[in-house]
Amino acid sequence: MNLRRFRDRGRKDEDLAEEIASHLAHEEDDNAARGLTPEEARRQARVSFGNPRVVRERVWRYRSLPWIEDAWRDLRFALRGLRKTPGFTIIAILVIAVGIGVNTAVFSVINTVLLKPLTYPDPQALVELRNTSAQGSFPGANIPKFNIWHQQTGIFQQVAAYDSGGAGMNITGGDHPEQVQGMHVSADYFAMFGAPVVTGRTFSAEEDSPHGGRVTVLSYGLWKSRFGANPNVVGSTIQLDGEPYLIVGVIGRNFVTDVPVDLWVPFQFDLNSQDMAHYFTVAARLRPDVTLPQVNAQLRLAADQYRRAYGQNSLPPGGGFGVVSLQESTIGDTRFPLLVLLGAVGFVLLIACANVANLLLARASARKREFATRAALGAGRGQIIRQLLIESLTLSLSGGVLGLIVGFLGVRVLLSVNPGNIPRIGEDGSAVSLDLNVLLFTLGVSILTGILFGLVPAISASRPNLIATLNENGSRAGLGFRSGKFRSALVVGEIGSALVLVIGAALLIRTFMKLQAVDLGFATHNVISMAMSVSGDRFQKTAPVTQVIHDGTERVLAVPGVLGVGVTNCLPMAGGFGMVFDVVGRAKGNSPFTGGAGFYSISWRYFDALKIPLLRGREFTEQDDAAAPEVVIINEAMARRFWPKGDPLKDRIQIGPGAGPAFAEGPRQVMGIVGDTHDGGPNRDPIPIMYIPLPQMPDLETALNSGVAPLWWIVRSQVDPRTLVTPITAALRDASGGLPVAHIRTMDEIEARNTARQRFNMLLLTVFGSAGLLMAAIGIYGVMSYSVQQRTQELGVRMALGAQASNLRNMVIRQGMVFTLIGVGVGVGGAFWLTRFLAGFLFGVKTWDPIAFVATPLLLSVVALCAIWIPAKKATRVDPMAALRLE
Amino acid sequence: MVAKRVPEAGDVLQGTLDMLILRTLVMGPAHGHTIAHAIESTSENALEIEQGSLYPALHRLEDRGLVSSEWGVSENNRKAKFYQLTGKGRKELNAATGRWRRMTRAISLILGESFD
Repeated sequence: MNLRRFRDRGRKDEDLAEEIASHLAHEEDDNAARGLTPEEARRQARVSFGNPRVVRERVWRYRSLPWIEDAWRDLRFALRGLRKTPGFTIIAILVIAVGIGVNTAVFSVINTVLLKPLTYPDPQALVELRNTSAQGSFPGANIPKFNIWHQQTGIFQQVAAYDSGGAGMNITGGDHPEQVQGMHVSADYFAMFGAPVVTGRTFSAEEDSPHGGRVTVLSYGLWKSRFGANPNVVGSTIQLDGEPYLIVGVIGRNFVTDVPVDLWVPFQFDLNSQDMAHYFTVAARLRPDVTLPQVNAQLRLAADQYRRAYGQNSLPPGGGFGVVSLQESTIGDTRFPLLVLLGAVGFVLLIACANVANLLLARASARKREFATRAALGAGRGQIIRQLLIESLTLSLSGGVLGLIVGFLGVRVLLSVNPGNIPRIGEDGSAVSLDLNVLLFTLGVSILTGILFGLVPAISASRPNLIATLNENGSRAGLGFRSGKFRSALVVGEIGSALVLVIGAALLIRTFMKLQAVDLGFATHNVISMAMSVSGDRFQKTAPVTQVIHDGTERVLAVPGVLGVGVTNCLPMAGGFGMVFDVVGRAKGNSPFTGGAGFYSISWRYFDALKIPLLRGREFTEQDDAAAPEVVIINEAMARRFWPKGDPLKDRIQIGPGAGPAFAEGPRQVMGIVGDTHDGGPNRDPIPIMYIPLPQMPDLETALNSGVAPLWWIVRSQVDPRTLVTPITAALRDASGGLPVAHIRTMDEIEARNTARQRFNMLLLTVFGSAGLLMAAIGIYGVMSYSVQQRTQELGVRMALGAQASNLRNMVIRQGMVFTLIGVGVGVGGAFWLTRFLAGFLFGVKTWDPIAFVATPLLLSVVALCAIWIPAKKATRVDPMAALRLE
Repeated sequence: MVAKRVPEAGDVLQGTLDMLILRTLVMGPAHGHTIAHAIESTSENALEIEQGSLYPALHRLEDRGLVSSEWGVSENNRKAKFYQLTGKGRKELNAATGRWRRMTRAISLILGESFD
């Protein structure tokens, strides 16, 4: 298109006017030359030229884009109209802003978690290696698996192992020992993730082999906080767990890890190791040209190779290896909950739309004469619809801008409530931000909303009955039967949608109450836990660990107010280890083991610290040490599952048969049975658990354990344990030769964190449900008020004929409640179908929970009744004389 | 929303009018009044166009770069805007003339008249 023609329209028009004048003058000259009188010459010149104004208009229009100008005129008109009714405008914009705001908030989380690609270069090529079995696929690897995967160079460019830095490391050598998050990685880790190096380099292959020396790579954060971002730090050493580590490099600020990491150290795997323990994750970067079938075929061969080397039972029957995209693996099981959330806010938006549509219909009926007049003056239906749509789009876009602000603030509020381990959102949701995706989403939703709530009112307003309307002497008459019905349908839909939300919220509230009511089986009140890292060379054998536990227990018990102290390598509700076992002398059948159970190594006072009751036999004592006979205590769930008949106290069990040299030990006598604990959180049934005394751990197992898990100290006190943190940590530092503790949290906090997801879901749906309920109440109030206003005359006549005020009131209430009850019916039906999507979120509550399905419709009906009461009351105050005089 | 444009009289003949204007300007620069009369007289008054409808066509041609314009003084000693054919306009005239010839020939063949 030639854009030149749109420029300088005003000047060109003047030019044309002058040109036309010149033409007419020439024509006049000619006519005069033919002997006509001046008047006649002028007249004929004009006749033969035609209308100069039409000519100018044609040129002007050709130099314009008519629809843009029409839209611009409509927009100015819409703004003028909206300014004239500020009450309507403000309410409509606020309702839309809430509807769009919650959608923007939820979408911005979804965008961050599900849609944005991982921040590594070429993220599609990154996969996580999995163990596959009939039950599904699980992450986790041992050294032999890593070794075999590492050899698959035909399909993988790089293969790297990494852990989540579970043990923590202590920076020593300064005034303040500090526990930091260290991550163990194999040499290819940085290259695979494309980590930017600020200064220095990453680990060499030699440094990642056994006896590769003590080296570390710092994170940007630690480099900045501990070394003031000094570039000369490379080549110097840092004291970690009492040993000097050579700093070889610093990684850039933008490098994102799943869990925050302060520094990295090499795994230094012995690739000949037969160690079967799974304690790290493996990811790989695919070669650019390989396909998924090729990868799977190659991994099948690798699994066969693994079975040949380590025995048929080294992989489960039918199991093998597989890959899943790293993005999918990071997202994990958060996709579905987030989509359900999006569905819920979608309902809020629908209710908001219905509400505004209702307001617009009422407004349109008040403007009937205006539209009829415009139609009579020649406005086409299309023009009226366009003008009303531009009005509703103006509303929805203003609401959208406000909604963007609401959403931006809302998402901060949303994430300040602990959402319970949503991946990728950064610390306190800092990674959730407004970006182009979110802006486009909000814009799209705004436009869609504007059309959704504007179209029907616009179409119905464009169909005026000209004569009837213009003959009436006011704007009083209704919009007609059709749109009246439509408004009722909108209100019914609003009530139904609101009820779906409220029933969902009720189910989640009931779930949360049930979770709170679960007896966890251990004390959480006035109990605090803290992690002590024992990752250095000092703790490669069991005896020094035992010594620290003994000294620490004595000193902490001496702190006034402390009632109990226990030590464990697995904190309840924070994830733990599992291990297979055999019952000595029992036939195993087809399975290679008797079974598997949680595997805790604990100090002798652990049960006392957490008030876990002993049911049979005896507890551990301090005499159950390395020299004493090996013993084990099991929980009730384990006794029930594996000794349905018979007495476990008469049996011995062999822990970790075939699990590798680190777990080589003799059979243990079952000494006692303790109560069950909900270690996986209140919504999981207690699992079988076996406990052994920490002093009886084999040395090799201690060495392995010290590298991957800290010692958890659990202290129960008479008073709020947070007031005792200082003396307790001081006592532990004294007892351990200066070891710091970290991750200090009360068990109440840990419990709250465990139910955080449920709490989060409940709070959100309650907020959305309340918003929906409020909007539905406003909706039915609006419709009933309008209806009363429309029927003023009828009510007046009825009153004049002797109807009682209560008759009139009940009539209005009856009509309103009919809408409400139809809406309730629709809502209950919808909820009955939709709550199945909530099944995975519920605990101890059925998706058709009778309490939720009876109580919430009642609640909603009461709210609706209150909303109807106001217009009903108004109906009784109609003055019959005034009403009749309106005629 | 795009409003339906009301077809204007002369739209059909627009291409033809453009061609006639360009053809007239081959003789040299001229102002609107001259062009109107030239078209009238050379067509032996068979093509009666409203003089005013010439101007939208002229301005469109100018925007397309087929003609250029300049204010000057006419033979009557009056101020007038003179139009001149550009190189691009000359090419367009050739092309349009070719199209026109082909079309009239085709129409003549259909009507069964001898084409001379």
